[in-house]
Amino acid sequence: MQADYGTGISSPMPVPMTIESLESNVAVSAAGLELHYGATPVLKGIDVALGQGKTLALLGPSGCGKTTLLRLVAGLLAPSKGSVSIAGQVVADAVTGTFAPPEKRNLGMVFQDYALWPHMTVGGNVSFPLEMRGIGRADREKRTMHALERVGLSAYAGRRPSDLSGGQQQRVAIARAIVAEPQLILFDEPLSNLDRELRENMVGELAELIASLGLTAIYVTHDHSEALTLADQVAVMRGGLIEQLATPDELVAQPATPEVADFLRLGGIAELQHRDACWFFGDSDVALVRADESQSASRRILIPVSAITPGDIQSDRLAASVVRSQFRGDGHLATVSLVGADQVELQVLSRQKLKPGDGVGLSIDLDQIRWFENPVHLHP
Amino acid sequence: MAAKSVGGPAPAAWLAIAGLLLVVAVPFAAVVMQGIFPDLGQGSFAKPFSSFIATLNDGALIGMAGNTILLGFCVVLASAVVAVPLGVFRALYRVPGAALFDVLLLVPFMIPPYIATLGWIMTLQPRGYLQQLLGFNLSPFLFSLAGMTMVMAFNTFPVVYFAVSRTVEAVGARYADVGRVFGATPARAFWRITLPLSAPGLAASLMLVFAAAIEEYGTPAALGRRAGFQVLVTGIDLRISDWPIDLPGASIMSLLLVGLSLVTFLGQRWILSRRSYQTVNGKPSAKDKRPLGTMKWPVLAAFIIVSFLATGVPLLSILATAMSRTISGGLAFDNMSFDNFLQVFQNSAGALGALANSFSLGIGTALITGLIGVTAAYTVVKTKIRGRLAIDTLTIIPNALPGIVVAVGLILAWNMPWLPATPYNTPFILLLAYCCILLPQTMRYSTAAFQQIGDNLEAAARVFGASGITAFRRILLPLVFPSLASAMLLVFALASRELVASVVIAPVGMQTIATFIWRQFEQGSIGLGMAMAFIAILITTLLPLVLLALLRRSGLVAE
Repeated sequence: MQADYGTGISSPMPVPMTIESLESNVAVSAAGLELHYGATPVLKGIDVALGQGKTLALLGPSGCGKTTLLRLVAGLLAPSKGSVSIAGQVVADAVTGTFAPPEKRNLGMVFQDYALWPHMTVGGNVSFPLEMRGIGRADREKRTMHALERVGLSAYAGRRPSDLSGGQQQRVAIARAIVAEPQLILFDEPLSNLDRELRENMVGELAELIASLGLTAIYVTHDHSEALTLADQVAVMRGGLIEQLATPDELVAQPATPEVADFLRLGGIAELQHRDACWFFGDSDVALVRADESQSASRRILIPVSAITPGDIQSDRLAASVVRSQFRGDGHLATVSLVGADQVELQVLSRQKLKPGDGVGLSIDLDQIRWFENPVHLHP
Repeated sequence: MAAKSVGGPAPAAWLAIAGLLLVVAVPFAAVVMQGIFPDLGQGSFAKPFSSFIATLNDGALIGMAGNTILLGFCVVLASAVVAVPLGVFRALYRVPGAALFDVLLLVPFMIPPYIATLGWIMTLQPRGYLQQLLGFNLSPFLFSLAGMTMVMAFNTFPVVYFAVSRTVEAVGARYADVGRVFGATPARAFWRITLPLSAPGLAASLMLVFAAAIEEYGTPAALGRRAGFQVLVTGIDLRISDWPIDLPGASIMSLLLVGLSLVTFLGQRWILSRRSYQTVNGKPSAKDKRPLGTMKWPVLAAFIIVSFLATGVPLLSILATAMSRTISGGLAFDNMSFDNFLQVFQNSAGALGALANSFSLGIGTALITGLIGVTAAYTVVKTKIRGRLAIDTLTIIPNALPGIVVAVGLILAWNMPWLPATPYNTPFILLLAYCCILLPQTMRYSTAAFQQIGDNLEAAARVFGASGITAFRRILLPLVFPSLASAMLLVFALASRELVASVVIAPVGMQTIATFIWRQFEQGSIGLGMAMAFIAILITTLLPLVLLALLRRSGLVAE
């Protein structure tokens, strides 16, 4: 039975990300997708394509439009402009009025609130997609049990969803999503209702499931660690637009904008001004680095956590004072403000616990600093 | 283009609209049109609004409207005086036998007001049971505003009692305890927290009582007429059933009554939606309640007296009358017999036919209101399609349509000579009337049930391959079925003993349970009428309860 899930999508192949080069391999794509509620735009033009067997994470704060985008792909909403294609078939197009309802799109979906049907047993919930596809009873039972085994709940087939814990309910929801081997699985913040420890375990399990079944998936989340763990491609969304679409490695190494870097909590963002052949923090007297010439008078930068080594206050280090500190597993992550430029807040990882008000000296590895292009100068 | 939510709502919406147009819009429009155009019956739209002035200047009308409002306020006041103290004691203190009193105070819901009224007449009239037992009667009191107020209040106060005891209990267990933590004494916590938080629930229940009081027909008809106390309902009845028949006048009075009902209903809805904090779902436990201490016996006495007056007097009086060989024989052992019950089952005066008619109509009404209610509620709650607002409005109207107005509307709509086919003078006219009157029950239950269902349950079914209709049938319908079934059983019980529309528009020669009881009482076969009343209460209460228990046992209806 194992092979049932892997057929056709088990061999991972390198998939380039442009639509033109791989017509045949695109599992799902959106072009010029917009959605308006009355006069309020929720999505302002989304272009994205996802190769078969790949996972795309839609990452962003609440209200950025990521769940709306997912519901457009699911067919639970119809676009105001643009189109959606699944496996080369246009399933929604605002211009032609084409619209395939959700049940015609061969999907699986995992919902934030699980959305298990309370009047059916666990087995009944999981076998529902098979029933809708007209699969015979014997085959249905076999595949239902197999999917439940896959999530470790085969003993619970006869129970009611309400008898199960939150984590178990979400596993049932996952079993229901994979049982019919749909061409695309949609995850709508599936783990956000679980507590932290369970969530971290489930991320690992989901990653393993997605990899072993070779699933094509879109995964909506506001948690950057979930997105970076699970996805091949991450679309960081903000205000109804995709701010950056990249692999997790690219995203961490080269965030496109300060906002992306800030959302991914890569470190501290600072604005520098060029004066007297030096880059100063804002309009303060604290200089970061010498630079004889500059095309622009101000630049924004990311100082990653890993670029800063904390120590005692010395003349060759920047003096800072601790604002707050939080334990993070591999040390205490402290937010510090620079002495003389206290609007600048940076993140420092320290072995010792730092108390608010403590003084600390920062030595900064200038090579790790990421300089963002100034948008004003990019588009004159 | 506005964003549309994709579902399969069209068939449900069309079914709901068709049903609502036939059941609600037609009679309502007929009343409004007749009110505006007095010569509509002759097919003329001449002299619009002309009868408004004439009717509104009619001193009798002003008097009737005033009496209606006066009676409504008196019943509200009396209900509050009886129910609020009992409800607060029930909520905050350990009342001995509280569960038993809760059951006893549910009984008035099962006794139709007109039957309770007849029971009170038998008790308090000259040579009634009170006189036979204690040597005096309260006839002057009963046939007066005070008597009507008492009878109606004892029938409706449980609405207030249960609203107050539930809200105060929930609020007391949660928010008032928080107040205690922050330093309030029990008394201060009650006045500063519990009372303000319970006020909306109390106000809404009192408005419900007011609405019921101004729509009531049986009690004012039986008690008020003798006291010369006319209300709008009895006034309308007079204009459509007695010579000279005055349809324009009846429709204007109907509009006035509808206006009063509508204001009350919208006010109640507004309070509940904006001002109600009764969303607490935690179950308060009895252990938090305080002992009554020295108040134990007075409070217990109050519960016993009120329960006896609300439940015992009407039921015992009905039973005593039904079991009396002759009324003049009075409460004597040798006057007791089951003759009247036997006569009912021997089809005396068409009793069995009346039972069969009422039960068939009750079942039909339950099915039709169930279907319209569930489709309309689905469309209003779960879809965003156009026309949703029209459906919502059409479902609100029957809340403000008293039975008598529905009857007037149906007469006006279906009694026009040019109609090729009409349900008028057939049992279907009663079916239409009952459906219009009782639609709010199924609508209310289904709406609440649909609101409980997360949107993703339907979305999940669609994503996993179910069409809109399949998702409705396999997911939504089973989930609302428990509520829908309860509502339909309630509709059956209420429809099978409906009085006012039945009296006014039952086809010639057709009897229902209610008209049978009413006529037997008027014609002097009181024992036979009361036997039928007792059987009706028994069956319309027990049958739904048994069915509900069966449904629960079969697992179709969860607790």
